[in-house]
Formats: sequence, structure tokens, C-alpha cells
Amino acid sequence: MKCSDVDRILPDIIDGKRVGGSHDPEIQSHLRSCPDCSELVADLQLIASEARQLSDCEDPPDRVWVRLAADLRAEGLIRDQELASARPVVVPGRSRRWSLVWLAPVAAAILAVGSYVVSHQAKPGITSPVANTTAQQTPAEVAPQAATSQAVAPQPNTQQAGTQQTAGLQELPHVAPPSTSAPPPQAKQPDINASAEEVELSPPTPGEDSQFLSEVSSRAPTMRVTYENQLRAVNNEIRETQAYISRNPGDVDARQHLLDVYQQKAMLYQMALDRIQ
Amino acid sequence: MTDLKRRITETEAIERAKQGDEAAFETLYQLHKRRVYSLCLRMVSNPSQAEDLAQEAFLQLFRKIATFRGESAFSTWLHRMTVNVVLMQLRKKALPSVSLEETLESDDEAPRKEFGADDAKLRGSVDRLQLQRAIDRLPPGYRTIFVLHDVEGFEHNEIAEMVGCSIGNSKSQLHKARLKLRDYLKFMRAEKAKTG
Repeated sequence: MKCSDVDRILPDIIDGKRVGGSHDPEIQSHLRSCPDCSELVADLQLIASEARQLSDCEDPPDRVWVRLAADLRAEGLIRDQELASARPVVVPGRSRRWSLVWLAPVAAAILAVGSYVVSHQAKPGITSPVANTTAQQTPAEVAPQAATSQAVAPQPNTQQAGTQQTAGLQELPHVAPPSTSAPPPQAKQPDINASAEEVELSPPTPGEDSQFLSEVSSRAPTMRVTYENQLRAVNNEIRETQAYISRNPGDVDARQHLLDVYQQKAMLYQMALDRIQ
Repeated sequence: MTDLKRRITETEAIERAKQGDEAAFETLYQLHKRRVYSLCLRMVSNPSQAEDLAQEAFLQLFRKIATFRGESAFSTWLHRMTVNVVLMQLRKKALPSVSLEETLESDDEAPRKEFGADDAKLRGSVDRLQLQRAIDRLPPGYRTIFVLHDVEGFEHNEIAEMVGCSIGNSKSQLHKARLKLRDYLKFMRAEKAKTG
């Protein structure tokens, strides 16, 4: 047997498909006398065997479940037997994940905080329209027009949401009184006197989250753990992204991601409100 | 016993998920998230993209969960669906350099067996991180076949069906991928020796 013969049947030797595999006497004889072929076979067998150890060794970040759960709710696959009627209208397509159509006052307030932070991080020292708006109004007064008109014209609102996302986050959704009967938990308002750095480094609304979780506990105790986990994941993501932006203030993608995460948090609040009202 | 317990839990979760139970969906996700995400990550070598693909794979699965009758293992079903989602994504990218067909035909770029090199054997010197980095450097066509066969354990006939190539092409591409990995690993080892 020659090196070229080994080369020709090498894949079968490595995969053990050749009768006897590398233990075939003829092959063994050649491998013993040829260090190059011997080394090659050993290396490829090592690669193939080590590759098996790579399977199942990475966990996805928690945010994957948060987003997946949001998608499942949006598509109506997750159903709450008691509160199914309160579920919002399904918006088709990938944009449903970030649609502002369902945002209620608290969600809007969270989004406002996000927009404020993002815009200040983008242009430190410049007071954004978001900050002016939220400083003059309570969270209950801040609500996207979409929240009150979702049943009438959801598609334009969806487009509006997309436009706002890509427009550099300089505008808030239109302000309208809330139509919900139950008082929503209060979301944190940005302090317009705080510097951009102070806003960036402050933890994301821990007091309001506690109040929110208390509301969930009292009205839907079985859901608390789920929302607590999801809230923790999204807050971690906000913190990590804020930290990254503080190191890389010019990173536009990171700022966009931060707004996405705030929207995700807003959606969590909104979904909880839909369920517990 | 653990497998039995897990199977029962999974079976119950599947039935409850069909009724729209959130906790059941989460149970199924938790049971399989690692395998699905790992598979996506290996195939695309991009964590952010792998997250999206894993999410999409679960979403597609959950959309169809009402049709699951249990003839096949749930994990097999999910695994196959994940592979299809990733392959579809790779096809949609439509980059000439990542064309599976092109890679299949690109014998010119096939790594050569280098005899007489004075570099040391790989034996005992390949750790997980090194191997992963080397896999990340593979052309997507090679990487897909290598991950499906050597990492995920699919047979060539299954790969040929999923990827849309012949069994012979799958074997050929796998062999070239392994040879290329060997070159990468030796190169990385030499670089490490220089700097270390």
C-alpha cells in the first residue's frame, strides 16, 4: 500500500467505515512505516473526536426567551385561559416584536426613559424633546396615540413605530390620556437636571419594578416568577448596554439596541397589564 | 430514570403547550435551548445571528406543535427544524463565497496534505476553544457539513437531503473541511509558539 492509496480511502478510515478501519492489517502496516500518513490519520481522528465535545456547550442569553415569549404571545400561541379576551391584536411579521401599538401608559413612560437615555447618550448636553415632554407630564399622562387607536388602524401605527425606530429616536409617540381603568404602576421618570452620565449609570428603575411585580403578585401570583425572570434579564441587558455605550458613546448600533431593550421592557409591562387588568 | 422522568415531563409539557400554556413552552425551551443555540452558533459563528436563528427555530416549532403526534422524538424534530432554519438563512444570504454548491466544486481550494512539515503533531494539543476558532474560520460550506456530521452526528445521507447535495459531495466536503481544520490548528499552534 502506498501513501496515495491511504489518501484515497482516508475518509473511510477516519470514520471507521472501511472494514477494520485503521486496524486493517494492510493499513496498519503502512502507517507503521510512514510517519506522515500516521500523523495525518491521528490528527484527523483527533479533530473528528474532539468535535463531538463541542455539541451542546453554549447556553443562549436569557433575552432569547424573553423575545421568544413576546413573539408567542403576539401570535396568540401563549394563551391565558382567564384573560384571553384582554390579549392585544396580532401584528404579523417580524416588526410585531417592537410594535408600539400595544404600549400603554407605563410602557410608554419606560420607552420615554429609554429614548431620553439614548438621545442623551447620543448627544450629551443637549436636552431632547423626550426629556421636555416627560418632565412636564406624569407617567399616566404619557401614552402613545397608538395605544388608544390600535383597533382602528393598527397598520399605520406599526409603520409609525418603525419610522420612529429608524429616525434617530428624537421624537416621542404622541401624548394622549390613558384609556385604561386600572392605575398602572409608576415608571421612573428621567431627571432633566441629571447629567447624561448620571442617567446612564443609574440602575434601571428598581423601585418601579418592585411595585410592578407586587401588582403582578397580588393579581396573578402564578405569573410573578415568569415576569421577575424576564424583568431581570431585560434590566441586565439595559445595564450592560449602558455600560458599553458609556465606553463607546459613538456607537449608533448600541444606542439603537438600548432603545430596543427599553421597548422590550415596555412590552413586558404592557403584557402584564393586559393580563392582570 | 432521569431520561424517563425527563420524557414524561417533556410529554406533559408538549400537551400543555398545545393548550397555550406559557410555562409549558418555557419548559420545552429550557430543555432544548442549549442544543439548539449551540447548533446555530456552530453553523453561523455569530452569536447575535445564532440568537435570532435559535429564536426562529423555536418559534417555528411552537407554531407547529399542535401537529406533533409523537411519532418521532421531539428533540429530533426540533433539531431537524433548527438545521433547516439555519440552512435557509445561509441560502438567503446568497453570497457567492458561501454558496454550498460552489464550495462543493471548489477543488482548487481544497487543502493539501502536507508531508515533511516540521510542525508537531496535533495529538494532545487541541482544546475546545482552539477547535472552535478553527471551525469559525472555515468557509461556510465546509463548516456546515463539518458541524452537521462531526459535531451534531448527522449521517451523510441525512446531510445530503437537508443541504441538497449528493452523499458523495457531503463526504468530500467533510474530508476537505477536516484537512483545512488541521492546517488551521497547526498554524494557530505555530503562532502561539512564536508569541509564547
